Amino acid sequence: MKPDINEALLNAAQEIIGRFSPLIEDEYERSRLGSWGALILISAMKFNDAGSALYKENEDIVLWLRDYTNLDSEELTNLDIKAYQDVSTVDKINQELRELLNREFMALEDSGDKVGIRSGLVLMRTMHQRRKVSDLIGLLQVPED
Amino acid sequence: MSEELSSKFISYYSSFSNKDYSLVSFERIFGGASRETYKIEVKGDTVERLILRVTQDSSLIETEQETEYLAYSAFQNSAVPVPDLLDMSEDKNILGAPFMLMKELKGEAASPFTPGVYSPNEKKLGYQFWSILGEIAKKDINKDIFEILAEELSSPSWKNELDKWVKVIHEDSISIEPILEAGIRTLYRNPPKEPERLSIVHGDYRSGNFLFLNDQITGILDWEMAHIGNPLEDLGWALSPIWSWQDRKRPGYLIQKEEALKVWESSSNIKVDPVELKWWELFAAVKGMAIWISAGNEFKSGKNIDPINLFSAWIPGDIHLEVILDILEDNNEA
Repeated sequence: MKPDINEALLNAAQEIIGRFSPLIEDEYERSRLGSWGALILISAMKFNDAGSALYKENEDIVLWLRDYTNLDSEELTNLDIKAYQDVSTVDKINQELRELLNREFMALEDSGDKVGIRSGLVLMRTMHQRRKVSDLIGLLQVPED
Repeated sequence: MSEELSSKFISYYSSFSNKDYSLVSFERIFGGASRETYKIEVKGDTVERLILRVTQDSSLIETEQETEYLAYSAFQNSAVPVPDLLDMSEDKNILGAPFMLMKELKGEAASPFTPGVYSPNEKKLGYQFWSILGEIAKKDINKDIFEILAEELSSPSWKNELDKWVKVIHEDSISIEPILEAGIRTLYRNPPKEPERLSIVHGDYRSGNFLFLNDQITGILDWEMAHIGNPLEDLGWALSPIWSWQDRKRPGYLIQKEEALKVWESSSNIKVDPVELKWWELFAAVKGMAIWISAGNEFKSGKNIDPINLFSAWIPGDIHLEVILDILEDNNEA
């Protein structure tokens, strides 16, 4: 059993922040390296879930489009999200689904469909919660201290 | 690069001042959004402390150096503390890029993302912060400076600003963001009124962009996005929850929002219309997104891999998106 990639990243970040960054005398370069350490730390925290989160987001958008829009079901079937597993394809489908979500949400705004708008905002909140890294903002205070 | 620049600088400064100077120190300051900023100490008859701002080939925010220079000029010797300007040059042959030189002000700038950074002086600093912003809003600007800064202004001013930032978003976005697009549509559908009087707008007035020494604000910095427009624009930006994300009721980690508005109203002589302010708070989040998206684009394209660009795309980008979502949800409640 090999160590996970996120573990390697975590250790690399700790080494950068705690070990190498303090050795640099130039304040600008030290801050810059410290920032890289913090950003690698964030990457490590999110690394394991990134692929599955994207896949789940695609599923959620398709469900919403089916429930709240009059979108042609053929258009959705063509975006067969279950047929693909590799991250780049899931990401490509995600881009298309986001386009559709935006277009259909705008149509709901135009028609004044309050229920549809609220459900769309609930979906967007779920998507944002899954993607966001701002909850790790505290980590970025490490290099400044 | 820094050694070459420092040697060019000392030769330029000696010639500019018509005196012999030697270099004591020459340090780049981390985090400048649109210019490389250097803190310099030179020795002639006395020791002088200077700040040099050099235009970057690729920066977080593309801005004109002249804008910043004019804005600083407008507030020399006023109730708004700004550094004394010494020189500005667009000539790339002197230091390798256009630059601006000013005297260093005493004080330090804090990170806008660190809670408690102004403690125990947050109250005194808070009163000054919002009062100075009111002074900016009510300032009668020199006619020549006003006209140059207003050159790109079309009527109405809100549309001028919104169109500008939406263009950046659509040019630099890596992918579509439905929350942001919904926020943009909300702004266009419910425009604010034009103000009775157009003011100079700092464009990036917030915690982190001022210098303080103990309980005194000693300088207002980073005027590179200054323009003529609605004074509520600066208010909306400065109040944005992003600048006090871990204590959202206390904008800028200074004083409570209600108190801040009272201080600003009293200083600017402008009564805040809450509906209008709400529009400008949403605008602030959309404008922020434009800046963070632009930074992410710089990073992804490899034009500028400074970690500040990646940080901006990740953290502030996330926060402003959440702010937009909060406002959209609030608008659609009940």
